Amino acid sequence: MNIQFKKGVLELCVLSMLERQVCYGYELVNEISKSISISEGTIYPLLRRLKSEEFVTTYLQESQEGPPRKYYKLTELGRKKEEELKEEWFTFVKDVNNFLKGSEKNE
Amino acid sequence: MNKKEFLGRLSELIKDIPEEEKKDILFDYEEHFRIGLEKGRKEEEIAASLGDPKVIAKQSRASCILKEAEKTTSASNIIRAIFAAVGLGFFNLVIVLGPAIGLIGILVALFASAFAITVSGVALLFGTLIGPVFAWNVYIPFTAVVSIPLGIGLTALGLLSLIGVFYLTKFFYKFSISYLKMNLQIITNRRNRE
Repeated sequence: MNIQFKKGVLELCVLSMLERQVCYGYELVNEISKSISISEGTIYPLLRRLKSEEFVTTYLQESQEGPPRKYYKLTELGRKKEEELKEEWFTFVKDVNNFLKGSEKNE
Repeated sequence: MNKKEFLGRLSELIKDIPEEEKKDILFDYEEHFRIGLEKGRKEEEIAASLGDPKVIAKQSRASCILKEAEKTTSASNIIRAIFAAVGLGFFNLVIVLGPAIGLIGILVALFASAFAITVSGVALLFGTLIGPVFAWNVYIPFTAVVSIPLGIGLTALGLLSLIGVFYLTKFFYKFSISYLKMNLQIITNRRNRE
């Protein structure tokens, strides 16, 4: 798949996962890379951007296994953004599907 | 590449951004390594799946730049810019403009051929009919028995081709319109929502 394209949907995937639960970075990266093959390192710059745009907040929390971990939590703004992007995504997919079906008929 | 090498390279590549940002970035990757190791992965394996530090550095620096750009542009504008770059720049330039030029070229060529066939048919027909009168100007290498049906045939073929090209043009036109409509819809939808 096209890299630009993947980058575009990565934000939606991150927001969508945080909408379901609070995560630490490794967990997010691990879950997403299961579904989308992408260089794992690129998720962190995205998380930083989401933070600076106030879609997520971070806090440190002790873990049982060792030093504290940085957790990411969706803000109200982030929740709205997630809904918006999800809706855009579904519209986009529907439009493309319709178009592909349409051009099949024309052939 | 092990953890130390990875973090060292990354640190070197982002040395020109503010110290605080840099520390923050390195902290994230250190944590990633730490948790990965806790989960039983090897340093080299983690470094490999993180990808090229160069790419990460590029993105981290880009987001620093974006942060600056945010002061003048809104967040949704940036996302729109990304979508716009992909949607307009990539799709429209490569997937629309290229084939469109190709299609127009083909249509023009087909139209010219059809027109030429029609003209040759008409010319052959008239040439045969007026040939005997203007014998010194017209040379027809066939007898009238051959050239008249041939002329009629060519004219008919040319006209049919013209009609064909006309319909083909109409089809391509409709096809292009529906594609552009879809394209525009996606873009305007986004604009309306903002």
